[in-house]
Amino acid sequence: MDVFGVFAQFWPELLSGVGITIKLAGLGAIIAGFLAPLLALVRVNGGPAAQVPLRFYISFMRGTPLLAQMFLIYYGSGQFRPFLQDIGLWNFFREPFNCALLAFVMNSTAYQTEILRGGIMGVPHGEIEAGKAVGMSYVMSLRRVVFPHAYRIAWPALGNEIILLIKASALASVVTVFDLMGQTRAIFQKTFDFSVYIWAAVLYLCLTAAFVWIWRRFEHRLSPHIHGKRPSLLGAMTKRETA
Amino acid sequence: MAEAVVLKAEDICKSFGSLEVLKGITLEARNHDVISILGSSGSGKSTFLRCLNMLDPPTSGKVSVHGEEIVVKNGHPADMRQVERARQRLGMVFQQFNLWTHRTAIENVMEGPIHVLKQPKAEVKERAEALLVRVGLAERMNMYPSQLSGGQQQRVAIARALCMEPDAILFDEPTSALDPELVGEVLRVMQSLAAEGRTMIVVTHEMSFARDVSTEVVFMHKGKIAEQGPPKEMFGSPKTEVFQKFIADVR
Amino acid sequence: MLELFSFGEAGWGDQLLQGLLVTIQLALTALPVGLLLGFAAAGASLSPYRWLRAIGTGYTTIMRGLPELLTLFVVYNGLGLLLNSIVSSWNPDARVELSSFVAGVIALGLVFGAFAGEVLRGAFQSLNKGQMEAGKAVGMRPTQVFFRIMLPQVWRFALPGLGNLWINLLKDTALVSVIALDDLMRMTQVAVRSTKQPFTFFLAACLIYWALCVISEIVLARLEKRANRGVRRA
Repeated sequence: MDVFGVFAQFWPELLSGVGITIKLAGLGAIIAGFLAPLLALVRVNGGPAAQVPLRFYISFMRGTPLLAQMFLIYYGSGQFRPFLQDIGLWNFFREPFNCALLAFVMNSTAYQTEILRGGIMGVPHGEIEAGKAVGMSYVMSLRRVVFPHAYRIAWPALGNEIILLIKASALASVVTVFDLMGQTRAIFQKTFDFSVYIWAAVLYLCLTAAFVWIWRRFEHRLSPHIHGKRPSLLGAMTKRETA
Repeated sequence: MAEAVVLKAEDICKSFGSLEVLKGITLEARNHDVISILGSSGSGKSTFLRCLNMLDPPTSGKVSVHGEEIVVKNGHPADMRQVERARQRLGMVFQQFNLWTHRTAIENVMEGPIHVLKQPKAEVKERAEALLVRVGLAERMNMYPSQLSGGQQQRVAIARALCMEPDAILFDEPTSALDPELVGEVLRVMQSLAAEGRTMIVVTHEMSFARDVSTEVVFMHKGKIAEQGPPKEMFGSPKTEVFQKFIADVR
Repeated sequence: MLELFSFGEAGWGDQLLQGLLVTIQLALTALPVGLLLGFAAAGASLSPYRWLRAIGTGYTTIMRGLPELLTLFVVYNGLGLLLNSIVSSWNPDARVELSSFVAGVIALGLVFGAFAGEVLRGAFQSLNKGQMEAGKAVGMRPTQVFFRIMLPQVWRFALPGLGNLWINLLKDTALVSVIALDDLMRMTQVAVRSTKQPFTFFLAACLIYWALCVISEIVLARLEKRANRGVRRA
């Protein structure tokens, strides 16, 4: 074991892996972050025709391993290759990065939707009525009352979800994406030096710690009035709710 | 000359499922009227107030604001835009204050005028500050609702209603959720609003307010108006047995 | 289509079933390991000794911050290397192989233990002190207080959290296919390789995992109901 020698030799690979990891988890969280509020509204206000398929989707995403979901997309798309080529999507599914990203987006959307649903349900009914009483339209009360409040409620849980996504992004290495985990495995296969795993662990911990720091800065801005639970590297990295 | 009619309710009925809460209420509020609505709990007085601004649309009957009828079909307002316009003209103060907890006191007051009425921010801010000074919260403008007492929150809520420059203000038991020692500060603000000629409809349990401040008292019983008139008459010589009993019980 | 999943020579039903059994075995073996580690971690982080608390919180914090896959490789490769260096210092020609099942049990147990440690710590902290004093007051020994009063209640507080962890554990077992354990996930891959029907088979695998999770949820809901006997819901 040559802890510092490994880093001296392979730091460019490791750092490029960190970059891919950030790209995967970041893009995944952001795209899911755009989809989740819309679906959460459907979960709260939608009719049964929209609710039932959405609930199945969420239950499926939460009840199956992310690895299996990724395989379903990456390898499974091969079964429909001629069709995908016809509609011009084959180039997308050929790329392991895209498939991993798609799996993360679909998975995280399900979790974020449920978290935001909880946030929306947590907005006191009276505050929504007060918005109506000053003549706000439905859309405006969503924009000015419901979502600002719901996001403040959901913020710590959303932070946890993104931490989980950062960790889950390591799965992409299984379909040959060279994220931090992928680079680490490649380096180990070359050197059989265990210390590369130590560096990977340190880098993952740094990533989540940095994220927690940024997330809390935002939280302070958002809600000086709520003294709730915050995501913390040390405290709140709970497992996902699966109920 | 009689004052202009601001708000008119004709034969309002409201049912929740098979439960008939309102059985035909007719009431007119003219400019500068201060109408107190009394009644025991379950008499339907809060529901009636909520029918006026369509938070609970009536099952049948007509509500008009400044002569414009709000069209209700099958228990739902036909035109939400029209309802929104009406609500902009009618302020409302809730029993539970319902301040937006993620905004400071002054942000609560400024929210409606800026985002609903689209008024210029500087102008609104000036007005909001003046209103908060008026309700005695000059020092607490930038605090969040969670940092204010119940009485202070309710005064912010009154300033929030006033800042919309409404034609009439609906009060839904504004002091019922307050500790007894905080009731006075809210009542004083309401009294001063009455004194400057604001049109107010107040659902309340405060007998002194009904007797000394309002221009008209309405007593509701089992979804109907049982007795109605100027406070002197009502309290001086109550006509119906139910109202006599009601006054006696409260005292 | 259906004959793909039939049993015997023609289909892949028996292979998938075999894989499923390995998956369940793996989860059921990792569970007690994880629970033990969880109790140890909770005990350590609640202990009066600073160094023990440091170990407890250090373990739960670091383990929860690492990707499960990384933990698995650290155990599989790291422990493998360690064992080999120990064995070869005795006998330079000997080689040992850490089985992927054992590596999976250790890694999944470590992960489960770290999260369970937090759940259990919270549960112990929410115990009502008065009831323990009442136990002492009727003359119970500390071990009696622990087993007769504390543990049954900790169980009730911790059950929802532990239930979630169990479902996550079930899903995490799929990772062990990456180090070549013949679990459900890997048997599915084997079937895919020879049938060239990846979507069909991975979907089938997903549905099986889904069924496991749904069944677990039903059982957990029953357990929670039982554990909450006599407790009034707020």
